[in-house]
Amino acid sequence: MGHPYDTAAGTVLLGLLLTGALAALVRLLA
Amino acid sequence: MDGFAFDLLLRWTHFIAGIIWVGHNYSSVIQRPSWRPLTGADLGNDQSARFQALLNREHGFFRWASVVAWSAGTLMLWRRGSLPGALALDGALAPIGVGMYIGTLMMANVWLVLWPHQQKVLGLKPATLEERLRCSRITHLSSRTNTMLSVPLLFFMAAGAHGGMLVR
Repeated sequence: MGHPYDTAAGTVLLGLLLTGALAALVRLLA
Repeated sequence: MDGFAFDLLLRWTHFIAGIIWVGHNYSSVIQRPSWRPLTGADLGNDQSARFQALLNREHGFFRWASVVAWSAGTLMLWRRGSLPGALALDGALAPIGVGMYIGTLMMANVWLVLWPHQQKVLGLKPATLEERLRCSRITHLSSRTNTMLSVPLLFFMAAGAHGGMLVR
């Protein structure tokens, strides 16, 4: 299995996951 | 020029420089959506002095656009007295603070990871063929890291401009 960055979809999906995780953290902690 | 006009100028500059910078990442994803390892033949055709100058110019433009975008953003926060709060992820400044940290990471990625390796891939710095092919994998991962990071970056820029709607 390759790296998630090896496809455009994998790159965007990781970006969306990171956005959700950071937004949840900001909402919880800030 | 009054303070509001200068702030508008900074914001406009921030958008334009950001589009030049991150637009290069998006263009790369559209041209090469999937990773395909380069071969020696791929690298052999771009050695003319004219093509090298074009590559150097293009890379320089987007590399310095990252500095302009980052500087304009930081200056906007500083002028409003929001920089310490953004850095501390304090209350309503937390969303733009997260955006600022992501943007800083992306600029460091361009200058400290992408550029030193890209110089070898593009032939701007002498390197063996094996070294250039090895570096092309690193530049791919570095470029895609910034593409990935641009997704939360733009989200938190937008969220920050809307009064920190994430914060209760």
